[in-house]
Amino acid sequence: MAANEFQQHALSVADSQQANAAFAERRAIAAERFAATAWPGRKTEAWKYTSLRSLQELTEASFAEQAKAIELPEAVKAVDSYRLVFVDGVFQADLSGDLPEFACRFSEANAEQKAFINEKLGTVVATQTESARNLFSYLNDAWLHDGVLLHLPRGASLNKPLYLVYVSTSEAANATLAHQRLLVWLEDNSQANVIEHYLSESVASNDDDVSSLTNGITEIHVGQNAQLHHTRLNLEDEAHTHIGGVHLALSRDSVAKCFALGEGGRLKRIDYQISHNGPGAELIMHGAYLARNKQLIDYHTCIEHREPHCNSLEVIRGIVGDKAKAVFNGRIHIHQDAQKTLAELHNRNLLTSNGAEVDTKPELEIYADDVKCAHGATVSQLDETALYYLQSRGIEAAEARMLLSYGFVNEVLSQLPYQPLLESLQVRLRARFIDEARKSAAEKLIGESA
Amino acid sequence: MSEQVESLIRQDYAAGFHSAIESDTLPPGLDEDVVRFISAAKEEPEWMLEWRLKAYRAWKEMDEPTWAHVHYPEIDFKSISYYSTPKSMKDRPKSLDEVDPELLETYEKLGIPLHEQEALAGVAVDAVFDSVSVVTTFREKLKEAGVIFCPISEAIREYPELVQKYLGSVVPQKDNFYAALNSAVFSDGSFVYIPKGVRCPMELSTYFRINELNTGQFERTLIVADEGSHVSYLEGCTAPMRDENQLHAAVVELVALDGARIKYSTVQNWYPGDKEGKGGIYNFVTKRGIAHDNASISWTQVETGSAVTWKYPSCILKGDNSVGEFYSVALTNNFQQADTGTKMIHLGKNTRSTIIAKGISAGRSDSAYRGLVRINPAAEGARNFTQCDSLLIGDRCGAHTFPYIENRNASAVIEHEATTSKVSDDQMFLCQQRGLDAEKAVSMIVNGFCREVFKELPMEFAVEAGKLLEVSLEGSVG
Amino acid sequence: MLQIRELVASVEGKQILNGLSLDIKPGEVHAIMGPNGAGKSTLGNVLTGREGYEVISGEVLFNGEDMLALDIEERARAGLFLAFQYPVEIPGVSNMEFLKAAVDARRSHMKQEELSSFDFMKLAREASKKVSLDAAFLKRGVNEGFSGGEKKRNEILQMMMLEPSLCVLDETDSGLDIDALQVVADGVNAMRDSERSFIVVTHYQRLLDYIIPDYVHVLANGRIVKSGDKELARELEAKGYGWLEGEVA
Repeated sequence: MAANEFQQHALSVADSQQANAAFAERRAIAAERFAATAWPGRKTEAWKYTSLRSLQELTEASFAEQAKAIELPEAVKAVDSYRLVFVDGVFQADLSGDLPEFACRFSEANAEQKAFINEKLGTVVATQTESARNLFSYLNDAWLHDGVLLHLPRGASLNKPLYLVYVSTSEAANATLAHQRLLVWLEDNSQANVIEHYLSESVASNDDDVSSLTNGITEIHVGQNAQLHHTRLNLEDEAHTHIGGVHLALSRDSVAKCFALGEGGRLKRIDYQISHNGPGAELIMHGAYLARNKQLIDYHTCIEHREPHCNSLEVIRGIVGDKAKAVFNGRIHIHQDAQKTLAELHNRNLLTSNGAEVDTKPELEIYADDVKCAHGATVSQLDETALYYLQSRGIEAAEARMLLSYGFVNEVLSQLPYQPLLESLQVRLRARFIDEARKSAAEKLIGESA
Repeated sequence: MSEQVESLIRQDYAAGFHSAIESDTLPPGLDEDVVRFISAAKEEPEWMLEWRLKAYRAWKEMDEPTWAHVHYPEIDFKSISYYSTPKSMKDRPKSLDEVDPELLETYEKLGIPLHEQEALAGVAVDAVFDSVSVVTTFREKLKEAGVIFCPISEAIREYPELVQKYLGSVVPQKDNFYAALNSAVFSDGSFVYIPKGVRCPMELSTYFRINELNTGQFERTLIVADEGSHVSYLEGCTAPMRDENQLHAAVVELVALDGARIKYSTVQNWYPGDKEGKGGIYNFVTKRGIAHDNASISWTQVETGSAVTWKYPSCILKGDNSVGEFYSVALTNNFQQADTGTKMIHLGKNTRSTIIAKGISAGRSDSAYRGLVRINPAAEGARNFTQCDSLLIGDRCGAHTFPYIENRNASAVIEHEATTSKVSDDQMFLCQQRGLDAEKAVSMIVNGFCREVFKELPMEFAVEAGKLLEVSLEGSVG
Repeated sequence: MLQIRELVASVEGKQILNGLSLDIKPGEVHAIMGPNGAGKSTLGNVLTGREGYEVISGEVLFNGEDMLALDIEERARAGLFLAFQYPVEIPGVSNMEFLKAAVDARRSHMKQEELSSFDFMKLAREASKKVSLDAAFLKRGVNEGFSGGEKKRNEILQMMMLEPSLCVLDETDSGLDIDALQVVADGVNAMRDSERSFIVVTHYQRLLDYIIPDYVHVLANGRIVKSGDKELARELEAKGYGWLEGEVA
């Protein structure tokens, strides 16, 4: 049985939960698997650079009873969308809009949708692979009580994005656990945009605060010739922990564009598991992670090419400052039948402070010979000559640093197709980088005078 | 085209003969008594025995590593004999004339004449047959320059203070499972000491040969380059063709003191097993060097042999401005598996490392690059450049890249690039249209692919390496 | 020298050549023109025996021998040379090494002695001068990082070194500026003699102002639909290929 304290607590929370009876069996199996999985340590490859120690602060945490009333950011409201808002894991009806006929919450599903959820849920999550990697997918199933379904029939096209907003408000003294589950099923020739936006309201009052854990798992099936645009913003702040993932299965000739942004957070660990299951499928993924203070952000992406003539392009940038740490693991696996694959992965990192750490591991595993694959990873600092150039044109040092950091991520950021969100993120990041640049300038001054 | 290419890569192993030499071989199995026996057979001092026993006790508590991308049946460490010595060596020969002619002939067959008058000019050779150093050439000439080049068993007796100071200082006994095993039972290997400011007047070379059945080979090499000295060292290996797998677990330690330069080159051609994947050497090797201030260590390896290779020649860049280099070609064919790469640990300021790794996979083989670049917080201004390229020949082989990049210093710059491609039909067509046959075309393209690494090898080995690749790609046109 | 009779060939199951016939005597220069997709490049690839090009019927005699029975490299050693439309890069293999291997193979086929490295170098330097390539290019990887024009000149350099008896130039002029075109044409013209024949495949008449052909053939739908002398090329330049369509059908 589970030897880890948090593991035990998570199971007892599941036990005492008033759950939807339809999920009882699924929950029981998952709880068993979760309990049977050895708690990851430094020698567990999937968690080599990411410690789960801070979860021990959550052994008193519980699910929130009801949704607090909050104010949504203007940028969120400005996106023309089908919006659903959850606060501390609880549905907040007042802030949510109407849903299209293709979507529902699990708890409000009609008979047909119920049958569909029952049939498809869990079919995309890669539970057959190594168990340590799926630990939090098991947990998600063990805690399963509600979720959101988007099921587009053949040839249908969603006229505006489905926008899921998840807000954490809890504080360390009253820590919460939150469960999120999203199932997106695009039948052949259909088309949809989906946004998942995680944010927080409370801020840590001291460094060691751990106020919440959100476990958000998304499953997406993209049917033949279907088109998906998926965005996942993980912008929770200091005291909040997020461990979850996006599982994506691509059918023949389908196209998926993904955008991922991780900023802040006590601990963020997001796993992307993407599988090309039909010939001619294409994936384009852009992402960025920005960590500072004592934050830890960990993105794992794994792209499985199982069929010929598929493409994937992955561009991930990271900026890490202060005493923060970023982990990136990008795996591309070309199976034997996946001839004529074109796969590329680019990971670039900027380290802006000496206490910061980046661990990156771009992996290629290739079993087909007629393929073109390339990956590149770099770690560097802000380019001194570029800084000098900007300064020589009269730009203040801090401003110059900000511009360079900002430029570094903006290439990726500009891929976000939602103007209000993009603009608010650009403002937010400028402010963040100028703050960081001032701080590092101050540090330097102190260093020189010492 | 790929079928045609594939038929080209059937390989014949040229060094697969077995020599009929009588030997004394310890019965299979490992316990403290075996360790004591080996130590006694080598007439070792007490401290050495204690050192070995400490390693043995640590090994007993350790587990075989399983993280590498290789698969092989579990090794029964009890069925291996840990010591074998040619009978005629019992009374050590005092000179070449006393060496068993059959032994000398074995080396002649391998193309390594040990008679000094015939030997490669400018290369001193230490020949290790099964577990024992057979002969070391040009010792006198080296001595004039103050260079010590001798079997490590002899060094333990003759230069105990040097050995005691440096043995295990880079690869400690408990470093890993195979290093611990080696520390307990290593039988021989080479020892090199280059005094302060001396440029070693000739290339040094060790040639390893496994001959006996069911013996493990555990050699230990220790090279100490004192301040400001230079040395270039070559290592070659072959083994007879046998249906059983044989274990080779060597340890190599390099110490480059301030301003010293060590260049270590390997052409590894252990028996790779037959076309069905039967037999072949398990090559589980720990190689590591430590570079002090302004020192440099360069590893170059051409790996074409062994059934399973598990090997990561590494550099600890301890001193400021120290430099580490790793140039590697790994060719796997048939059922061979290789998991190889390097670790560059940057500790000192302005440390630099370069990694160029070329993997060629053919047949049903699997080749993985696994590398670690770690920049510690104090390594201001550290730089690394890594390039890993894989070439695939045929659609049943695998090529993998697992680079670990860990950076904890903001002033570091790390670049990593990797590509995977195949010998393209267009390249083959161009060569053939210009009148080259398919075999020559593949060998030319593969050699071109490896060029950056071959140019790092000393002349004698570069020729050998090129030929080795050609042999590995030899066969009839389908 | 070369007789092509009723050649029918396909690529990936699609028939491209539909009964092409052509007779080339020693010392002749034949230009083959035609609209895109007429099968111009296919001809060169079929003649050299490139994989993926399947001959369905017809015959090709090279110096009286059945050429279709030979491997790619055997045809090359017998004196057939194709200057590629898109020359291939071979990283790490130097031009020099590549040329030496090719020249050795050709000479040994012709029962000539192998050239010494010294003589070979001398020839290679002279040839590179003739095509205005710096001798440094000889040390670089085959076509590695060459510009388009440098690649084409490198093809002519190889042709000079190999001294083939039949040269097929596949769109060697495409993408060349006038200066480079002049260099290429000079190289070809210098090699013209009473024994050596050329097939010049091109889309544009421009090249034929520099390399004056003895015959011009128009290839359309995989067949030669019209033959004439160099005036035909001018006519094509003026009128385009459209007016031939009646004859194609």
